[in-house]
Amino acid sequence: MSETAMELVNVQKTIGNKEIIRGLSFEIYKGEVFGFIGPNGAGKTTTIRMMVGLMGLSDGDVQILGNSIHSDYKAAIQEVGAIVENPEMYPFMTGKQNLMHYARMMPGVTKERIREVIALVGLEKPINDKAGKYSLGMRQRLGIAQALLHEPSVLILDEPTNGLDPAGIREIRRYIRKLAEEENVAVIISSHLLSEIEQMCDRIGLIKNGEMIAIQDVDATTAETTTVGVEIEAAPVNQAAEVLNKEYGINATINNERLSLHVERETIPKVVQTLVGYNVQIYQVTMVKSTLEDKFFDLIGENTIE
Amino acid sequence: MNNFFQLLINEQIKLYIRKSTWTMYILIAALVIGLAFISNYAADQTEKYQDDNWRQTLQDENKETKEDMEQENMTQNFHSSRIEKNNFYLENDIQPRNYDTWQFVMENKFLLSLVSLLTIIVAAGIVANEFKWGTIKLLLIRPITRTKILASKYVSVLLFALFTLLFVLIFSWVVGALFFGVSGMDPHIVLRQSEGYAHVSIIEQIIKGYGLQLVTLVMMATFAFMISTIFRQSSLAIGIAIFLMLSGNAIVGFFSNYNWAKYILFANTDMNQYINGSPMFEGMSLGFSITVLVVYYVIFLTVSWVFFTKRDVAGH
Repeated sequence: MSETAMELVNVQKTIGNKEIIRGLSFEIYKGEVFGFIGPNGAGKTTTIRMMVGLMGLSDGDVQILGNSIHSDYKAAIQEVGAIVENPEMYPFMTGKQNLMHYARMMPGVTKERIREVIALVGLEKPINDKAGKYSLGMRQRLGIAQALLHEPSVLILDEPTNGLDPAGIREIRRYIRKLAEEENVAVIISSHLLSEIEQMCDRIGLIKNGEMIAIQDVDATTAETTTVGVEIEAAPVNQAAEVLNKEYGINATINNERLSLHVERETIPKVVQTLVGYNVQIYQVTMVKSTLEDKFFDLIGENTIE
Repeated sequence: MNNFFQLLINEQIKLYIRKSTWTMYILIAALVIGLAFISNYAADQTEKYQDDNWRQTLQDENKETKEDMEQENMTQNFHSSRIEKNNFYLENDIQPRNYDTWQFVMENKFLLSLVSLLTIIVAAGIVANEFKWGTIKLLLIRPITRTKILASKYVSVLLFALFTLLFVLIFSWVVGALFFGVSGMDPHIVLRQSEGYAHVSIIEQIIKGYGLQLVTLVMMATFAFMISTIFRQSSLAIGIAIFLMLSGNAIVGFFSNYNWAKYILFANTDMNQYINGSPMFEGMSLGFSITVLVVYYVIFLTVSWVFFTKRDVAGH
């Protein structure tokens, strides 16, 4: 695997007597998009706040490019760009003024860079309007722009798809992939909606009750599983089920006049051929692709992913 | 140090870009102009001394006043001090001055309470608003220590106080000059001092009058700044600070039977008590008051610092 950009070592957070985070340890590599998934209240935002130094760690350490957030705060945080929760901006300043404000706080951000970032997030037109008049999607983009100003090695986005329409989500997905692939940035994205970020992530970590319960490569899940779920809309549906049982020994369940079964990918054409041979009318064959989500449902053990 | 300057620029921009700040200045401007209209009356009063017969005018006035005093006893004090003042002019052969902008500026020193009030509002908001807007999260994730960010905010409050004070001084002077004219650059005036009437420099009076009130201004602004960093809420900080500023003397009066009352902040903010030579409590000296003020000041700033740098920035 490539270089480590950010490392969490046994990070713990206790508030009062309550253990919010119970020893998180994981690494994020340069050039990858890491999805940070968990139900509401699992500790995602708390973890992110600790990563960027807004909250202190009760125990453990966060290292960014090898610099500890405890002992080397400035060097560590210099390499981080982030949006924490909603991208709140100064409503009485224009988008440009907001960016200038943050640019003054970081060394080496040129006017040229500010223009570049504005172009990257596509805010050229409304950049001189007051941020208070921006829609949530525009503020989200302005938030990404301020996080990218100083060309950080680690980009942390807390719920970046919150409140965005599907077109906006697709656009953000495109920026993020581009940043990871072209600029070798390590991107951490948190969300409670797996389906929204699954497609842009390389790896996904699942957090529940302050513990990391699984880290999974997104590609591996698809390759790993040998069988896939298939739904076939066929008539007569009962006859089709019998045929499958007789020929392949598959126990297909019938749902809403549809057959639902698990087979190896390579067998799907053969199954269809056989059914046609038995004069079964086939209207539709669909692959059910939510294996990652299924896996996480199993791990969480309850229906808490919204 | 360079990036501290950048932080100051940021804070000043955030302050002066908002309409609410400008409203404050417009309010001050309106008040000063209003005061100038009222002071027109006082200006007319001095007209009659401006010819060569001013000695005669003063003597006539004294005679009239004496006659008044015999008829009614109600306004004894006012009348006798008037005679005393007129006599001072005559004895020292000083012609009463025409009312001009310098006197107008001097009389406007009570406007500094308004400056204190506005500074408290700014001090109370400068940290709390970042929490209210949610921008504190983006502000603190920069390669700058929280101490430096807090310091830039505090210095910004002091700068605001300074600019506003200068605005009051300069604007009053300009408005005064337009209404009453300017007579000389270092004018003197007859004023009642602790040892009777004296001929004093107005500019000196202005510096003293405004300067002494700066003690209360800085202390209360720092106090409001502390409350707002602790509670992260500006209205509470404004409320408490203004309440204390207005009721400070009453609080000292209420506890005046106790010996420890001299350690109350407000017993020490008024430096006039040492100029007049009448300290509020026995055993108080200028050194004592300065020490008490410094202790309070250090406590206010330390508490702000501890709360701002050590506490987590958690969700709402």
